[in-house]
Amino acid sequence: MNPHAKLITTASLILGTTITITSNHWAMAWTGLEINTIAIIPMISKSHHPRAIEATIKYFLVQAAASASILFSSLINAWSTGQWDITQLTNPTSCLLLTAAIAMKLGLVPFHFWFPEVLQGSSLTTALLLSTAMKFPPITILLLTSNSLNPPLLTLMAVASAALGGWTGLNQTQLRKILAFSSISHLGWMTVIIIYAPKLTLLTFLLYTLLTSAIFLSLNTSHTTKLSTLMTSWTKTPMLNATLMLILLSLAGLPPFIGFLPKWLIIQELTKQEMTSTALTLALLSLLSLFFYLRLAYSSSITLPPNSTNQTKHWYTNKNANPLIAILTSLSILLLPLSPLILPTI
Amino acid sequence: MDATLLLNTSTLLTLTIILTPILLPLITKTPPNSPPTITRYVKTAFIISLIPMTLFMYLGTESIISNWEWKFIMNFKIPLSFKIDQYSSMFLPIALFVTWSILQFALWYMASEPYITKFFSYLLIFLITMLLLTTANNMFLLFIGWEGVGIMSFLLIGWWHARAEANTAALQAVLYNRIGDIGLILSVAWLASTMNTWEIQQAFLPSQTPTLPLLGLILAATGKSAQFGLHPWLPAAMEGPTPVSALLHSSTMVVAGIFLLIRTHPMLATNPTALTLCLCLGALSTLFAATCALTQNDIKKIIAFSTSSQLGLMMVTIGLNLPQLAFFHISTHAFFKAMLFLCSGSIIHNLNGEQDIRKMGSLQKTLPTTTSCLTIGNLALMGTPFLAGFYSKDLIIENLNTSYLNSWALLLTLLATSFTATYSLRLTILVQTGHTRLPPITPINENNPLITNPITRLALGSILAGFLITSFILPSKTPPMTMPPITKFAAILVTLLGIILALELSNMTHTFTHPQQNTPFNFSSSLGYFNPLTHRISSSNLLNTGQKIATHLIDLSWYKKIGPEGLADLQRIMSETSTPMHSGLIKTYLSTFALSILIILIFH
Repeated sequence: MNPHAKLITTASLILGTTITITSNHWAMAWTGLEINTIAIIPMISKSHHPRAIEATIKYFLVQAAASASILFSSLINAWSTGQWDITQLTNPTSCLLLTAAIAMKLGLVPFHFWFPEVLQGSSLTTALLLSTAMKFPPITILLLTSNSLNPPLLTLMAVASAALGGWTGLNQTQLRKILAFSSISHLGWMTVIIIYAPKLTLLTFLLYTLLTSAIFLSLNTSHTTKLSTLMTSWTKTPMLNATLMLILLSLAGLPPFIGFLPKWLIIQELTKQEMTSTALTLALLSLLSLFFYLRLAYSSSITLPPNSTNQTKHWYTNKNANPLIAILTSLSILLLPLSPLILPTI
Repeated sequence: MDATLLLNTSTLLTLTIILTPILLPLITKTPPNSPPTITRYVKTAFIISLIPMTLFMYLGTESIISNWEWKFIMNFKIPLSFKIDQYSSMFLPIALFVTWSILQFALWYMASEPYITKFFSYLLIFLITMLLLTTANNMFLLFIGWEGVGIMSFLLIGWWHARAEANTAALQAVLYNRIGDIGLILSVAWLASTMNTWEIQQAFLPSQTPTLPLLGLILAATGKSAQFGLHPWLPAAMEGPTPVSALLHSSTMVVAGIFLLIRTHPMLATNPTALTLCLCLGALSTLFAATCALTQNDIKKIIAFSTSSQLGLMMVTIGLNLPQLAFFHISTHAFFKAMLFLCSGSIIHNLNGEQDIRKMGSLQKTLPTTTSCLTIGNLALMGTPFLAGFYSKDLIIENLNTSYLNSWALLLTLLATSFTATYSLRLTILVQTGHTRLPPITPINENNPLITNPITRLALGSILAGFLITSFILPSKTPPMTMPPITKFAAILVTLLGIILALELSNMTHTFTHPQQNTPFNFSSSLGYFNPLTHRISSSNLLNTGQKIATHLIDLSWYKKIGPEGLADLQRIMSETSTPMHSGLIKTYLSTFALSILIILIFH
């Protein structure tokens, strides 16, 4: 991509995110969101592939609709209460509409249909941005308006996200779609706890960002986008392959890794709030996503592919190994013992 | 000399004498036993065993010998103790006498057998365990004897083990006996836990004994003594050699069950339910066996069913609360039944293996001694006045008629008595009289004293035993003294009825009538359809239940369907349902979004 265009889009992304997260007027929040939407469009359609263009259109339509709904909800609130403060959203219709709109922005069920296709149509780095950076402003708005959201609707959407993310993800072989469904299911976990302990939402989001970045960057190094390619990735990047397995298990929420921390704390908080059946359902549904993570780990590291490979280690190294991968991987795997340090800082 | 000392010494000497051929080769280097030696051992033991019997008859001496104690549990005595009372002191000489005659006969019958010494040793071991059973003072020794006779029965029935039917019959005997053993072990365990003893003298309750252990004992007797329900093994046991049938399955082993009930009679006497059960079971067994015997064509099977019928009669006597009379019938029955079997053995060997009575005839002229003794045996079995069988059988029927018990049992027993006469006479007519139906070249001779001596000895016993025992043994319960004449003659009348029926039926065979198949005949000759029904149904039920529980329920259902596979199936269905929702059409997505928002807004 043209360096100028890259500069403008990257700067616009940073600007849009900053505007939204530092706003306390609804118009500014909406502005930031719109800038983000427009800025990421060139990045998604960078490769000019028809699938990428289609992904761009879908992304634009859905995000525009969502931003419009956010604006509508703030308008209704302003009309009834006369003020535009983000934290003072009190009109019930407005709260409902806002919940739905944020869900659409993030990709919670039943507003999640766009997410897998958009992710599939973009390159791995753009997919990374879409999953992590583009979720940041809506999560911020969610955190700011956490008192004004509708609890039953949120819980319903959260559990449904965990469920549908799990079930639909079982049937996928494209890695970006699998990671999209994993994102949907993690979003479910994030939104279930926002009413009771918003800090945990933020913690979950940050750790999710960490893990997803590590995964996307590792996959980007060996250019793997499919399950079948993953099976022979051990010839290209053996070390990254091994660590990929561990990061996947961390994302699944298995104990020695950091991914366990948010799940543990969320279940604890839900139980304290007398929502044990929700906690149980969420825990059981995350088993589904564990299954497809395990399938990825299995096919990448634990088995050899059915086809024979030309050589044990490919000598050419056209890898753009990002130094960031090392940091992110180490953090993803080893951070759990430091959780007492993490928790008070959020 | 002290009578008790003499009694104890002579009994122990008897038991030691028959143990010697088995134990002596294990201790010292002696020349191997030979069949005539073993016969001589048993004869000596018989003569010595007459001493305790005589002492008991004249002085009424009874004793218990306790030698050694198995120190297994500290507060529960299991001694090696022998009881010499009227039952064991009478049974010992009778059993030894019958065994001596059978062993002497077997010297001729099994002369061409290569392992004849092993055969005799088996018979001897059987005798030892049987005598152990009868002289046992506690249930532990009785159980050892019980199991011993069961095992020897298995080994001896399957003596010709290359023959498939013999193996099947031996296995059948073991299985049916095992079912009875369950009952015995139940009662023995109950005795140990409730009465804290295994000695019968100590096992009395002043009030009514609980029914459960008595049911166990009755089950044991049903198994061992082939009462109805566990009876098929006895006709099948005729696959063994004739000496085995004579010793085990007529005189000694099959009476072990009845003997057990006689020994534990004080426990039974207080429980009317158990007594009624014995009565009805015995009546049913006796009639069923007699009915089956009417249409059999194998000579040994007829005698086997006759044994079964007489065992039913003994069970009826137990049910009438008359153990001594039952024992009396055991003693007299041993003589004539063993003799009947020996006669049939002589006939079979002389006819070169022919056992079908339809292919015999007119043997009265060619085997005079054998057939005369066969006639004596049959008459004794029918209860001809003043032969051995009369004293016990007629007394049983008189007691039955004058009691106030179950009249249905009475009716069945009388019917069985008449059937006894019918099949005995049929046997006699077909085997001994008429024109011969043998193949032309059948060299028949019974000049060997090894055949004639045992048979005539037992014939003497069949004639005199009843008279001798009645004269010398006092009855423990008063026999019925007065009754109407028709009741007194009831047994003889029904026997005569049976004889006349048999004669009439045999007359019909002189004219050519087309034989018709009818239901009663089919019932009788198929042994009541019992074997095919029970053998197939019980085993197929067991195997089917096993498959249902083990395979279907546990393996397939729990471990697969409800467990992992079912769970995985559910998830697959959900996944298959949710995947087509992502069709890729943005219109669908946007309309879903709009609809969802609408629904959300409407619901509030």
